Amino acid sequence: MSGRHTGEQHSHTVEGTDPQLYVGVHDPKDDAGLRPVLLLHGFSSSSKLNWEDTGWIAALTEAGRRVITVDLPGHGRSGAPEDRDSYSPSRIRADLLQIAFDAGARPLRDGDPASGLDVIGYSLGSRLAWEFGATQHELVHRLVLGGPNVADPLAEFDLVAAQRYLADGTPIADASTAGLLKMAQLLPSNNIFALLSLIEAIKDEPFDPAEAVPQMPVLLVAGEKDERAASMPELAALGAKAGAMVEQLILPARNHTNAVTSRAFKQGAISFLGV
Amino acid sequence: MAEISFPLPDLGEGLIEATVLEWLVSPGEQVERNQPLVEVETTKSAVELPSPQAGKVVRIYGGPGDKINVGEPLIEFEVPDNTAGIVGTVPKEEAPKRRVRLSAVLDED
Repeated sequence: MSGRHTGEQHSHTVEGTDPQLYVGVHDPKDDAGLRPVLLLHGFSSSSKLNWEDTGWIAALTEAGRRVITVDLPGHGRSGAPEDRDSYSPSRIRADLLQIAFDAGARPLRDGDPASGLDVIGYSLGSRLAWEFGATQHELVHRLVLGGPNVADPLAEFDLVAAQRYLADGTPIADASTAGLLKMAQLLPSNNIFALLSLIEAIKDEPFDPAEAVPQMPVLLVAGEKDERAASMPELAALGAKAGAMVEQLILPARNHTNAVTSRAFKQGAISFLGV
Repeated sequence: MAEISFPLPDLGEGLIEATVLEWLVSPGEQVERNQPLVEVETTKSAVELPSPQAGKVVRIYGGPGDKINVGEPLIEFEVPDNTAGIVGTVPKEEAPKRRVRLSAVLDED
């Protein structure tokens, strides 16, 4: 793996509490002189699973990019706080802003290619990136959103059924809820109760892409067989209406799980962000 | 010239097989150590496997959609005989084990 890697539990307090988020900064061997790239992983994943094992960090540092990774609360090597507020998408976005600045990102300045921040998200990470871009237009230069979705499957998650299932094995009627819970349970590193707290917090703040729309250039990417990707043109239309330049990339034969390793996805993102 | 074969490494968490998504190298190609070789998918996630070895690719096993069991051949390289000493700093049989440790970091989290 190329590049130096430093990782730390992020301990800068935001709004008075420590978010306990695990941050990794990966420096390229040959720096292209461009702004850092922040990577946001999906639900029930981690920076390691979503970005490291899939070859993304290696591909980006190879392209001369400095990479910042963050494990979401209750995921990967981040802590699993008790309070639900730590999991709210608005709180996570505030933490991300602090992390980006602590890692050296600076507001965009005309004619300075090292200023600003590029963001790549996948699935839930794309939702957070969409909102982060919409609210941080002075910082975010471009967005790449993988496996994006207009709807919010996490907001529709049946928490009561999930809790009953975890308590006594009562089968879950809703297929989407059963599927998400199964995915969350596949990884022993997941803290299942922290993940349920995240879902609870998301229910309080469900994704509404029309509420705040990013105006910087956006690349939307999804596998051809990703049923969530069907709504990608709707996101593209929202962005275009707000004046953003929006490109779409479909990955042949890939689904929501396996689109993430795709070379075409990585190359598409690297060239889209390489300006 | 010597040929070195590498099996599909242990992908951790009791996984016994993986499905090939896409090969990123082809026979005849010269590859560097750590260069991405192949994308594979397990029941838990998709991963990109970096090359454990520099050398010329002689043979690759399995096309998109094919299943390979952990420990079964994945790729063969041709390397000059005189690099055996360099490779030999890590004994040949040990190389796949190194991959095991790299891919098992998950368990150490």
